[in-house]
Amino acid sequence: MSRVIRTGVLIVLGLIWLLPVYLLLINAAKAPETFTTAESWRPTDFSLFGNIAEAMRLSGLGESVASTLLYAVVSPAIAVLIGSAAGFAIVALRLRHGFAWFVAIFGGTVFPLQMILLPMFDAYSRTGLFDTRTGMVIVYTAISVPFSAFVMRNFFTGIAHNVFEAAVLDGASTLRIFTRVYLPMASSALVAIFILQATFIWNDFLLGLTLSQSDTVRPIVTSLAGMQSTYGGAQMSTVLAGGLLVSLPTVVLFLCTQKFFARGLALGQY
Amino acid sequence: MTSDKTPTVKAPKDPYRWSALGFIAPGVLFVAVLLYLPLLWTTFLSLTEYNGLGDPEWVGVENYVEMFDDPQFLGSVFNTLLWVVGTLLVPVGIGLGVALLTWNLAGGSWLRLPFLIPYALSGIGVAVIWSFILGGDGALDQALAAFGIVDTPRWLVDAPLNTVVMILATAWQGVGVNALLFTIGLQSIPKEPLEAARMDGATGLRLFRSILWPMLRPLTAVVVGLSIVASLKTFDIVQGMTKGGPGRESETLALTMYKETFVNSEYGLGSAIAVFLTVVTLAAAILYLREQLSRKHEA
Repeated sequence: MSRVIRTGVLIVLGLIWLLPVYLLLINAAKAPETFTTAESWRPTDFSLFGNIAEAMRLSGLGESVASTLLYAVVSPAIAVLIGSAAGFAIVALRLRHGFAWFVAIFGGTVFPLQMILLPMFDAYSRTGLFDTRTGMVIVYTAISVPFSAFVMRNFFTGIAHNVFEAAVLDGASTLRIFTRVYLPMASSALVAIFILQATFIWNDFLLGLTLSQSDTVRPIVTSLAGMQSTYGGAQMSTVLAGGLLVSLPTVVLFLCTQKFFARGLALGQY
Repeated sequence: MTSDKTPTVKAPKDPYRWSALGFIAPGVLFVAVLLYLPLLWTTFLSLTEYNGLGDPEWVGVENYVEMFDDPQFLGSVFNTLLWVVGTLLVPVGIGLGVALLTWNLAGGSWLRLPFLIPYALSGIGVAVIWSFILGGDGALDQALAAFGIVDTPRWLVDAPLNTVVMILATAWQGVGVNALLFTIGLQSIPKEPLEAARMDGATGLRLFRSILWPMLRPLTAVVVGLSIVASLKTFDIVQGMTKGGPGRESETLALTMYKETFVNSEYGLGSAIAVFLTVVTLAAAILYLREQLSRKHEA
């Protein structure tokens, strides 16, 4: 197919793909008073910031921002460390039956979350972790560990073992070799996993829905869903502004770090 | 894993044994306590009658028998199948198309950008946007009215049409990442056989069928496996757009599991559905795990 036709097809298709984004932007910017469902395609006025402020107030979206940031930063950070340590044990320290341990940890990621929802809800209710930030950080960390371990083991496999032996000859302890030699070498993989997991956690709905309740603990996407079902009829432009606010961080992060993303996906899938 | 067996320098036997166990312990602990233990508990609960009060009562496979007799469950299985097939046809198919169209094209990465923007959205974010577009007299209806089409269906109310439009909304989101993955695959195809085929006059469809498709097959297995696994778990977008309605007509298995468990307090039945979903997911996961693990061994 000629280049011109290919480019043409892609431009048309791309414009179609951008239409929902256009609709979101112009309608999220309409003041609740001027917004009518009857003319969605034409921009009328610009009250985006007022709408966002109002969205923050409704359904505790504002309070969710801080806690969701906490989950999306702390959990992947811990998970990346735990996963690297596991990969280090298997590859550098040549843990006996390493492959079996690896499969055991990675296996945690292949079944659907539905299998853990009820027991987690039950256990969290009994131990007082239900509807706490600690509880959310713990569960998000747990679901991020298998992928981190998977990627880090694969990454460390690419490092020659004499790097480890040389460090041993220099008299370094295993902890020191891990933190001073292996982790720094893996920084790009660490960042890739971190970004992928942070995005995943930021976008989580199901765990937030099951394990939290109050505005201060509930993650942001779960709050948005609550806002949509409560105000979706009466204050549509506010809900759209809320949707925009919730979506912006991950979309911007993704577009700025596409290379890391692709790398993370590639590391995870091959 | 030949590396396990190559002996290092004649050192004391396994000097790092305890240290290695220490390094792997946190990972194993997290996964064992927070993923495997709940998994076992759910499996056990699926064989009991339990509503959260008192103790679970052993009923054997009764929940499973009840499940397969339940028209609601069978309806969810049907919807979930629609999701699996639909998300394979549309986002994977268009994704491959976009990758092929942008391949070796000047400005290709820019032309891919519009498809990548929706990728990082949350399922609920997609649901908010598309509920607005597809609602009664929403943006889509207005656009159609401009072309004189006024007798439109109720997109989110008429089943199974609502499932189809939700699949299309998901496709809007999913095309980008599939295009990205296929692009990586295309870029890794060695140049020589391609040139040879071109010299022989293979272009377009023939080039695709004889060279590109066979070369892309391992990657396609991964993309297809991932797509199936993800679509089996479909929850957010349906909960955000129809809540499984009208009635329970657009529920997927994940939604039915959630409702039976947390709305109807049918813990046993909800767990049985979760187990069923898991078995199906595992079967699909084998598709791509085999690929992943075998490639590891070659490396």
